[in-house]
Amino acid sequence: MRIKRSRSDYFIDGLILLVMLMVLVITLYPFLNSLAISLNDSKDSVKGGITIWPRVFTWNNYVLIFNNERIPRAYLISIARTVIGTILGLLFTGSLAFGLAHTNLVGRKIYTIICLIPMYFGGGIIPTFLLIKSMGLLNNFWVYIIPGVVGLWNMILMRTYFQTIPDGLEESAVIDGASYLRIFFQIIIPISAPIIATIALYIGVAQWNSWFDAAMYITKDSLKPMQTILMNVISEARYAEQLAQSGITDVGNMLKGQNTNVRSITMATMVVTVLPILMIYPFLQRYFIKGIMVGSLKG
Amino acid sequence: MSASNRDEVRLNRDKSVFARFIHQWDLQVLVIPSLILILVFSYIPMYGVIMAFQEYKLGEKLGFSEWVGLKQFVYLFSEPAFPRVLRNTLIISGLKILINFPIPIIFAVMINEMRAKQFKKVVQTVSYLPHFISWVVCATLMFDMFSTDGGAINELLKWVGVTKSGIPFFNRSNYFWGLTVATDLWKELGWNSIIFIAAIAGVDPQLYEAADIDGATRIQKIWYITVQTIKPTIIILLIFTVGGMLNANFDQIMMLTNQMSNAQLRETGDVIDTFVYRFGLQQMRYSFATAASLFKTVINFVLLLITNHVAGKLGDTALL
Repeated sequence: MRIKRSRSDYFIDGLILLVMLMVLVITLYPFLNSLAISLNDSKDSVKGGITIWPRVFTWNNYVLIFNNERIPRAYLISIARTVIGTILGLLFTGSLAFGLAHTNLVGRKIYTIICLIPMYFGGGIIPTFLLIKSMGLLNNFWVYIIPGVVGLWNMILMRTYFQTIPDGLEESAVIDGASYLRIFFQIIIPISAPIIATIALYIGVAQWNSWFDAAMYITKDSLKPMQTILMNVISEARYAEQLAQSGITDVGNMLKGQNTNVRSITMATMVVTVLPILMIYPFLQRYFIKGIMVGSLKG
Repeated sequence: MSASNRDEVRLNRDKSVFARFIHQWDLQVLVIPSLILILVFSYIPMYGVIMAFQEYKLGEKLGFSEWVGLKQFVYLFSEPAFPRVLRNTLIISGLKILINFPIPIIFAVMINEMRAKQFKKVVQTVSYLPHFISWVVCATLMFDMFSTDGGAINELLKWVGVTKSGIPFFNRSNYFWGLTVATDLWKELGWNSIIFIAAIAGVDPQLYEAADIDGATRIQKIWYITVQTIKPTIIILLIFTVGGMLNANFDQIMMLTNQMSNAQLRETGDVIDTFVYRFGLQQMRYSFATAASLFKTVINFVLLLITNHVAGKLGDTALL
């Protein structure tokens, strides 16, 4: 049944519309503004007044940052840690979840307790740092991958999913003499695409966005990921100047552009850092939300 | 996937635990490597926490240093910066609970009240976006927005006439609490509303129809149906939030203060986690910093127990 709408109804609708428009503008403006600045000529940007559209369009800021060897290298590190971290993370987290989904697993109770406690208690950063150090993982690429390769919250989500797979599927494979290893790799993985996609995105985004492990464990420039480079750029204007200068051959140009370049370089570096996330955002939105729903249903 | 093969189970029941373990070696092989990694990377640091009661020196094995009892904690409580650190932690978390906890609920209710399906979808999609970017990127955007050199916020304030030369937001300690709340809201508003939007979607539509027949106004329907139905969700999330109160978002504060290198912001921006980081990793007072970190863990756990107890008293779903 449809009730006639009163005047206060229209007022509420208008108010909501206004609030939502504000949310849209406030959320999007910083992104669009930075994008515009990164695509605008740096000498022109210093005059101010750039909003969401570049005034003097140029790719120069991007050319500059990619001419500096640090950025492509950091990009490769970020890509490597994301790809390797996601694949190994899925493998170790998924296999544990698969095992714990079996009621006939010997030691299941103890294993489950081992997994639950670290979800609520941790040793904190100091003992963790000392452990990593004693294992010789400082300034080692694998420090990005190994310590967090088993994600316990993700494991719970995967286990919940695996538990919903009908027993019959596995039973028939067992009758045919398949081992659990074969069942996991050849039967379970192919039919678990939705949960694998969700967890892969969880791990991938966390890997791409991670900066703290690099700040704690890595001092070597050649191993620093994009997030760290961006961090250096925003905390040290000088670093940005270095990046800017390395691409410029004309000294006069360089001196003139010194102060103006910093903001453009920062914005270009930022855009490059956030781009992969934006590109996969449509998938992210779909699968992440599915993920929290499963998580919240579980409680 | 319960016991996958009934014959196997029957067979297994007669065998010893060890024999069953060997028999299902292929299943154990899938879980044991991951469990070893958990034991190494989660349990060894947990054990390492006992260094809070020791005097760790560089090069010593974790947990094998000289015992000093509660000395580190005595140092901690007599450390002049510590009361300030506690105050900052409580105020930043408190403001976030007070402001940034209810706003996503209101946002979710508003989303639910929207009639234009397309526009609703656009707003949701856009509002979730900042959740997926790192605090490094977020800080970059915020520094630029709030900069005195052409930043949008300051341009706006100049235009309105509040300030002439712009306010150096990130260089004055008195704006920092507000900035943490505002930037946190910007980043997580949409994301934190998802769970409430989902809870509202589960409300029985018949309730609204019945209320229509009784002549309820829209506000009454929102308050007595929507909000009442999602109350358990609100309470559970509030418990989690209060339980993690001393965490105060390390990532955010580290980035907004340039990894605490901005001394101007230490007065209002130094929280327990950054304190641990500064003393532990920068000044290498490992045992002292671990004591501070353990203090936090204990208080957090007590908070969780208290809030859970309170929620239990209120007659709603308790957690533990």
